[in-house]
Amino acid sequence: MTIDRARFDTGLTYEAYKAQMTRNRDRLDENERRVDLSKEDLAAFRALPRPVNVLVLAEDWCGDVVANLPVLGRLANDSGKLEVRIFLRDQNDDIMQRYLNKGQFKSIPVFVFFDVDFRELGHWIERPAAVTEVRAKRRKQIFAAHPEFGSPDAPVDQLAEDVRVRLQGELAKMRDETAKFANAEVVRELREIATRVAA
Amino acid sequence: MTAGHKVKITYCADCGYEPQTLDLAKALMLEFGARLSGIELIPWEGGTFEVSVDGELIHSMARNGGFGESAAIKDAVRARLAT
Repeated sequence: MTIDRARFDTGLTYEAYKAQMTRNRDRLDENERRVDLSKEDLAAFRALPRPVNVLVLAEDWCGDVVANLPVLGRLANDSGKLEVRIFLRDQNDDIMQRYLNKGQFKSIPVFVFFDVDFRELGHWIERPAAVTEVRAKRRKQIFAAHPEFGSPDAPVDQLAEDVRVRLQGELAKMRDETAKFANAEVVRELREIATRVAA
Repeated sequence: MTAGHKVKITYCADCGYEPQTLDLAKALMLEFGARLSGIELIPWEGGTFEVSVDGELIHSMARNGGFGESAAIKDAVRARLAT
């Protein structure tokens, strides 16, 4: 399976992807509005010597897609240097099989960066490791601060419904509080890949 | 008829596990009917897919891997109903 211009062009543009979403569109739009790109990061993307093609695997039900695709969308829109085409994971298994997380998981989003001749510059999967780490630490702190939530490893269905709802609220708050850090990490990692493009 | 046995299916709503959740719920409904007092679907996060009967965990993606075989889960529910 080869990604070339012909295959790449069959993907959806970012705007077309958003238009076909059947769920989470409001969350994606809100996340896009909240992306705060630094002048330095934007300048680095704008200074790319050639446009970079970015193939994306996504699905609208996926939380990591809803969180991270808008970062790429904003980078593409604000820099004018990234050509984004989005493929639905479940309709493009040949591409998915090539970019399995740890060689076995169909994690999304996947962002694959190609130069103008479709030589791969690198790829990015799901979310930054630093974000997973920080959120795991914050999750432990939430459980430590709220004994009523029980063990972080216990099945959540053992909690009374009102307690479960409170836990859900605390976890959502934590994700919200770490979103700025998460977006910055996504930008940092994507910048590192995109700037591999040769002059 | 044995009443009072409840199944809970906790699934990651951020992971697109709804089809597997609904398939399993349907299989349990058709197999056990009114012998179950209820089937509760709990939307959660973090890659969770867990099935419990009366508070006893009978399948966990984290523990057992995957969504579990429908037949094996039905056997576990049947064993619980027999107690």
